[in-house]
Amino acid sequence: MSQDLRQASPPARSESGLHEKGLPKGTVGVLGLVVIGISCIAPAYTLTAGLGATVAEVGTSLPAILLAGFLPMLLVALGYRELNSAMPDSGTSFTWATRAFGPMIGWMGGWGLIAATVIVLSNLAAVAVDFFYILLAQLTGQDWIAELTTNLWINIPTTLVFIAVAAWISYRGMNATKVFQYVLVGFQVAVLLLFAIMALTSSQPNDPTPITWQMFNPAGIDTFSAFAAGISLSIFVFWGWDVTLTMNEETTDPKKVPGRGATWTVLVIIALYLAVSLGVIYWAGVGTTGLGAGNPENQESIFAVLSGPIMGPLAMLMSLAILSSSAASLQSTMVSPARTLLAMGYYKALPSSFAKISARFMSPSVATFAAAAAAAGFYVITRLLSENALWDTITALGLMICFYYGLTALACVWYFRGELFDNARNFFCKFLAPLIGGIVLLVMFFATAIESMNPEYGSGSEIGGVGMVFILGVGVLLLGVAIMLWMRLRNPAFFRGETIRTRKLLK
Amino acid sequence: MKLLVGYTADQRGAEAIELASALVAGTRDASLKIAIVLPASTPFNAVYPGGDHGFSTILSAQVDRWAAEALALVPEGIAASAVARSVPSVAEGLIALGEEFGAHGIVLGGRKRHRAGFFSPGAIANALLHSSPMAVFMSSPASLATLRAANGKITRLTAFVGDRPGAREVIGLSARIAAACALPLRVATLISQAELANSEQELGDHLAKTRSYLEELTESLGLDAAIEVVSGQGLDEATAQLSWQDGDLALLGSARLAAPRRLFIGPKAQRILGQLNVPIGVIPTLDVAR
Repeated sequence: MSQDLRQASPPARSESGLHEKGLPKGTVGVLGLVVIGISCIAPAYTLTAGLGATVAEVGTSLPAILLAGFLPMLLVALGYRELNSAMPDSGTSFTWATRAFGPMIGWMGGWGLIAATVIVLSNLAAVAVDFFYILLAQLTGQDWIAELTTNLWINIPTTLVFIAVAAWISYRGMNATKVFQYVLVGFQVAVLLLFAIMALTSSQPNDPTPITWQMFNPAGIDTFSAFAAGISLSIFVFWGWDVTLTMNEETTDPKKVPGRGATWTVLVIIALYLAVSLGVIYWAGVGTTGLGAGNPENQESIFAVLSGPIMGPLAMLMSLAILSSSAASLQSTMVSPARTLLAMGYYKALPSSFAKISARFMSPSVATFAAAAAAAGFYVITRLLSENALWDTITALGLMICFYYGLTALACVWYFRGELFDNARNFFCKFLAPLIGGIVLLVMFFATAIESMNPEYGSGSEIGGVGMVFILGVGVLLLGVAIMLWMRLRNPAFFRGETIRTRKLLK
Repeated sequence: MKLLVGYTADQRGAEAIELASALVAGTRDASLKIAIVLPASTPFNAVYPGGDHGFSTILSAQVDRWAAEALALVPEGIAASAVARSVPSVAEGLIALGEEFGAHGIVLGGRKRHRAGFFSPGAIANALLHSSPMAVFMSSPASLATLRAANGKITRLTAFVGDRPGAREVIGLSARIAAACALPLRVATLISQAELANSEQELGDHLAKTRSYLEELTESLGLDAAIEVVSGQGLDEATAQLSWQDGDLALLGSARLAAPRRLFIGPKAQRILGQLNVPIGVIPTLDVAR
């Protein structure tokens, strides 16, 4: 099927000109870009998975933390765009951080990205499965079906099937079409707006909470640790937005479309998030009992609890929106860790079998199934160890995103260190924005990591007196360090800088 | 003869090159174009997080190596070159490449798969068999074995024709291929008894009539072709009656439903395809210009 890669050096731009790049030039306009951005963010999924956990941290300051969480994302994304246009074909966190900081930090940057995507894959699959059974229950009117997902003997095998199917589809290289994305995104946005409107206009809210300006004030959050946790969670809800900034060649006008597309995407998303979170706070309140959004029972999946009481029979639409958005994201996200594993295998940072490409489907083979197996393994372990697996994985995910994003932002500053002060644009986009964004995210990472050692943190699951989130987040990173050291002993070529050169100072 | 090989870097691809080499060997301007097609990436399938991840660079290096391996499989004396292209649909991409290179046909390696008794060529072969403007040749491991037994040389062409209009075109085109390759031609017709009246007498008459019709036809085309009319209870049984030799190549015409100069494989041809254990070519009925 596939051959081993035996080349030690990075591939040159195909000298023979044999392989023409098949990017369709200039077909995506502003609306198309907004659709792509929203589909990568998957708001129906991120809200159900992240809203409850964020309310648990910051209470009624939810709108404020959502607004505040966007800022570091924006700052880092500006740096991302610079790296992407300087090295468009050479990859992502792994190669960028290697070129800037050398092999060890680069390896960890790649690991951070893989870990974040593997965690989100397991969470996406779990959310898809929950809403799969909820939707079945709503369609058939048999409430007991929705309860099936709490039975581990049913839940775990179903989730593994979802992950396997997604891996198979992405291995086969089947593409989502334009029409499919438009329909999926349009449906998601419409259902979320409907939810917000029904919640805000409800005649019998559960715990009517007046909406005040104070909710929009980030300074209203009591403690720094709540703020840090809230930021890392709200990074998760905007994760995906930066895809709009990195699309250039694909747009009809690379000078204008990406900027406008990114702006419109974020405006639409923030409006949607504010509407839904105000709706949730107004209707359910942040109380820790019953239907309150602060109730630990409701953290895992807020819409699973609230859409029924708020939307009545229309809750079926919400289940369908979340199921479709999480299942579609599950499949498209699978490609990301597979490609980073492939690149790491190719550059000898991992065993070279990871670099195998399927001759029939032209997709990573070993790497795709490794990513799926890791996501499946991660899900089974967290499901068995933690009572509130989804909540803990989302918090651990926020941690991981802060880590690899922060690292990549600093890589941008260091990579361009020779040209930072050449002009005002360089100063802002290559230095100031990524520096502040990177430092903020790494501070959030360390603050949340330290905080999460507390067994009370997150869902309150613990092992040996250490919080589950810490074990998941930091444990995964330490596992990466161990694998890296093992690879370094076994095959030091990458670590000697023989496969990817660290970039020396410019000029 | 110029052929386009739809290549994948595995056993099937190697088999396709083997068949294509046998087909063009000894013809004028013998050349092969080895086509590696890749799926076109669509922006609406954005990879997130991280985008390309260096994938396209690594993939194109891999494709370069695959192309070099493929070219090494082509025997001496046959001109060969490789092309790689990203295409929205594999079948359409192969047709476009074939037309670009002025190929006489497209060669695919494949596996026989039986689904509910029907031969089903792979999705790509199937699409080609229903839309290609040029001949499509297919191999399977079993059919390659008979070719290898003849030292990789094609020894005879067998053109399958019906007794309805269209036979003339298929025979004519097969004869031109046979002449280009300096090969003997055999014309075969399958008669399913189930479709005829029951009497022995009628069957005998029908067989004799068909044979004389074909004899007249080949004579009027000025051909020296062996003619075989075989019958069986059904099409499958009739197909099984036909004898084969090592190095045989079967040719089938496209259905009358086909648009001019396009292939459209009919249900009978589909049925026959499933039964044959020799390499197969399907040719568009109307006289192909090249």
